[in-house]
Amino acid sequence: MIDNFLAGTYALFGDPVTIGIFLFGVIGGMLFGAIPGVSMLTLAAILLPFTAGLEPAQGVMLFAVLYCTGTYGGAITAILFNIPGSPENAPTSFDGYPMTQQGKAGKAVGAAVLCSAIGGVSSALVMMAATEPLANWAIRNIGPPEIFALVFFGLAVASSVGARTIWKGWMSVLIGLLIATIGQDPVGGINRYNFGYIDLAAGIAFVPAILGFFAVSEIFVQAEKKATGKYNAPKVSMSFPSFLELWRHKLAVLRSILVGFFCGILPGIGATLAAFMGYGEAVRWSKNKDEFGKGKLEGVISSETANNAATGAAMIPLLALGLPGGALTAMMVAVFQMHDLQPGPLVFMLSPDLIWIVFAAMFWANLSILIIGVIETKTILNLLKIPFQFLAPLILMLATVGAYSGRGLVLDVMVMFIAGILGYVLRRSGFSIPGIVLGLILGKIGEQNFAQGMQMVHYDLGTYFSRPICTILIVAGVLTLGTSAYRAFASHKKPV
Amino acid sequence: MGRLTKGHLVEAAIWLSIVAVFYAYSFEFNQVIEIYIFGATAWPRTVLFLLLLATLGNLYHQYKNGSDAQGGIFGAAADDVSASIFQDRKTLIRMGLVLLIPFAFAFLLRPVGIYFSAPFFIAAIMLLFGERRWKAILIMTVVIYIIFIGLFLVILNAQLPQGNVSPFYDFSAWMLKMNTQLRELF
Repeated sequence: MIDNFLAGTYALFGDPVTIGIFLFGVIGGMLFGAIPGVSMLTLAAILLPFTAGLEPAQGVMLFAVLYCTGTYGGAITAILFNIPGSPENAPTSFDGYPMTQQGKAGKAVGAAVLCSAIGGVSSALVMMAATEPLANWAIRNIGPPEIFALVFFGLAVASSVGARTIWKGWMSVLIGLLIATIGQDPVGGINRYNFGYIDLAAGIAFVPAILGFFAVSEIFVQAEKKATGKYNAPKVSMSFPSFLELWRHKLAVLRSILVGFFCGILPGIGATLAAFMGYGEAVRWSKNKDEFGKGKLEGVISSETANNAATGAAMIPLLALGLPGGALTAMMVAVFQMHDLQPGPLVFMLSPDLIWIVFAAMFWANLSILIIGVIETKTILNLLKIPFQFLAPLILMLATVGAYSGRGLVLDVMVMFIAGILGYVLRRSGFSIPGIVLGLILGKIGEQNFAQGMQMVHYDLGTYFSRPICTILIVAGVLTLGTSAYRAFASHKKPV
Repeated sequence: MGRLTKGHLVEAAIWLSIVAVFYAYSFEFNQVIEIYIFGATAWPRTVLFLLLLATLGNLYHQYKNGSDAQGGIFGAAADDVSASIFQDRKTLIRMGLVLLIPFAFAFLLRPVGIYFSAPFFIAAIMLLFGERRWKAILIMTVVIYIIFIGLFLVILNAQLPQGNVSPFYDFSAWMLKMNTQLRELF
């Protein structure tokens, strides 16, 4: 393994063009992740056609690097502006944004830098050592019933965070699931809820919806605060967390690495669920549960470690099985196909050089978050000094391009603004926007895997529950729903 | 009425209407799928049934506790929003415009294109956010427009809506021509 890693590193840094592409990916991913309104997906969608002109290894490596650094970059906007750069950064905003309001933005971002790097590097190391055996294990043990069970567990966790009441938490997730039913059904391809509008047959694209729910609705919330005179400019601080502060959370880091890796390895799940579950587990194991959501460093640490730990793991189903785990990994499949390659078991035999360049690039990209991330963060923190009336139109313009660039449809820009208005109204009413978004993302995956699982077991629930991983996850989901309901009914005190 | 308010009832009515409309519309695609006995409607109808239960549960919670937050919920949004905008007509109009102008901008993208409409949209948003110094609005509009054009047109050469009505389309075509000439220089 070490020989292969060194060979990959040599190939990566031995060619000036490849170095340039690597650095472009590192800086571009961080920058687009950290600019409110756009995300790594925007940059990836714009760059996709250009990868045809690159070597296959360069193209795939660029997207792998974008994935690692963009996942980290999205944490910055989540912390500074309450606008997660991508859905996997949504739980980061639960505690990160309150920290910014308390003048502790530097601490939150510093923790995100370090924990993203730790999560990503650990994941890259495990990925290098264990892609083949883990892929073999996954082929034997993970099927549609397990994926559905994990989706159920993840939605159960998401429904208990972010809303004002447990009922609104559940409603939020269900609204997301309902929006996800628009478009063709994943089994028979039958059009659902297109209301006679042909563009809706393809469903609601989740990038515009996410931009609307997170970025545009936040702009509207800030506009209201400006209009009612309640706007308080966030406080800028550059004080990073001390080593001791971070060392205290070593168990949270370790737990989130495991959670992130487990979620990332399952096809179709990706880093978003990892972040929610990392945050949920941090709450579950904490002695001071009441402090979450009010600016607790552990909240930032848990979600940021988990989502970056999922990035390396997400490469396992992609490279070993050819199954993408999210939007960016799906674009990577397109990069492979542009070069007449097909990700899957054969790629290890036919293109080992490509695989090891990608592995090495991901390792070094995650490590570079530590160095470039700190420098970039100190620059980005200055964004807080720009008056919001000047930042708002810039964010809206960037979000417009971000929504349009995915499919080239004006409809998507409209969807984004409608989602923004809906998000604003729902936030005022105490609903959980991250819950809606997770429901939207996982809805189709959940339905598809439920249907496939049912077909596999011939509609026999006994066989369904004879699969141990599936049973454990379903029971864990039911327990999560039960405990959150019990806690909610047992205490009628003020919000925590 | 317990602690129910008019707002709670309106909220419940909206969700119940959504459930009813979506349920009624589900008969439009109630087709048999040969390989899947539950068909295309089972999943959405299950979601609708659960949404109905959650809406009724939420209404019962509001009947008992009003708008109070429950314990045991973590990471609840820290938005300090209130109903005060509905009491002040001026603020209400301003918020209405903040919500409408982006939508109007999106609606105009197809006929007018982004290159022509962007500066007006940028300036309008600044104005709605309370900026009244016209020099600042002018300078920042130009700065943001240059950043936008520089990043997406010049550097990334992204495909953006150009409009389909003259003279807006001609303006977009002129911008693209300038960009091509600029690229040829380097």
